[in-house]
Amino acid sequence: MTGTREPQQDGGIQAMLRDSGLEAAAELRSSLEELRALVPGEAPAPRADLAALLAASSRGSAAASAPDFVDETLPAGVTSLAERRGRKRRLAIVGGAVLGAMTLGAGAVAASSGDFRETFSHSVGTIFQPAGKMPDTAPTPALPSPADVPAAPAPTSNATGAPTPPLGQAPGAPGAAAAAPAKPGTPATPPAVGHVEVLPTPPHRPVAPGTSALPSPGGDKGLPTEPTLPGVLPALPGQP
Amino acid sequence: MAEQLTDDELSAAFAGEPSGFGAVYTAIAPAVLGYFRARGVDDAEALTQDVFVNVLPKLAKVTGGPTGLQTFIFSVAHARLVDHRRRAERTPYLAEYDPRDDTRYAPSAEDEVLGSLGGVTDSLSRLNEEQREVLVLRIVADLSIEQVARIMDKSPGAIKQLQRRGLTALRELVTEKDHAAS
Repeated sequence: MTGTREPQQDGGIQAMLRDSGLEAAAELRSSLEELRALVPGEAPAPRADLAALLAASSRGSAAASAPDFVDETLPAGVTSLAERRGRKRRLAIVGGAVLGAMTLGAGAVAASSGDFRETFSHSVGTIFQPAGKMPDTAPTPALPSPADVPAAPAPTSNATGAPTPPLGQAPGAPGAAAAAPAKPGTPATPPAVGHVEVLPTPPHRPVAPGTSALPSPGGDKGLPTEPTLPGVLPALPGQP
Repeated sequence: MAEQLTDDELSAAFAGEPSGFGAVYTAIAPAVLGYFRARGVDDAEALTQDVFVNVLPKLAKVTGGPTGLQTFIFSVAHARLVDHRRRAERTPYLAEYDPRDDTRYAPSAEDEVLGSLGGVTDSLSRLNEEQREVLVLRIVADLSIEQVARIMDKSPGAIKQLQRRGLTALRELVTEKDHAAS
């Protein structure tokens, strides 16, 4: 191989030197030849993937030096590549599954943590509170109501008693329409009071003028008169 | 080198038949390996094999006979070398500790003399990048001016100029070293 090439090489180097006008430089020429000596005499042994490429050729026609290592390494090289490819795909699938599981887990942890549960239950509580507290508050005012609050409806029902529905309430009905139906059904008053403690009081003020017309003989400043009446109120539930 | 290939092997390789691959590899791989060694690549064999793994399946597209084949293979090798250099710039250099490479010690007188005697690659490494590439492709890979021009994407005139300047600079380096050694 080298024997056939050397005359060419020398010619090549000499031609190069001649082109550049340096054919007299002997030391340059020797160092260039040294450089050319870096080319090895034989091709390096191919590694697995290259051997797999060359193997196909060695089957067709026996190449000079290739077949020795080719036959040994071919199956190993090919199978290892395929395995690696499959492993990569499997890794991607497993990675996706792990990611999904982690997001689910993180969601579950967030849901189960104390803070999140508290805020959640609180928000749910605030949503349902109005409906839920209604029954709660209703009974509690019911206890003091017999003493104080029913006092307001009590005088109307007591003072007007039987006569008011036909007499004063009919004209006063536009003003105290809500109070009027409440009176005939005295047992219905506790819920009416229980709704909100503010609710009864506004009726009182409008009704007070309305009722003031009725108990006008009793006196316009009926506020002191009303506390006097609670004493009568317990009698009222007792009546029906 | 490519002249060692028979016409049958060449035509088989150009036809994309694997039967020509082995012949192409045994004929041209030594020159490619020498090219990488001359350029000072640390793992020249691995790069050579990379080049052939890349090149062999594409031989069917090559035109221009043996010189076309040479040009094609060395243009791939040239591109590989450029890639390798860029990657090497970005990655830290990993090597076993070798006391002889430790620059914190002054070199021995014997080493200095021996180094100045041999080491074409050492003086080559002091040329600039393009001059070095032209000289290595011309001498180690044994390519013509036109082939080198195609590989480096330059005009033949520019390659001739680079070759002349490179040779002159190399000659100065070599004679300087000889004077220093003597």
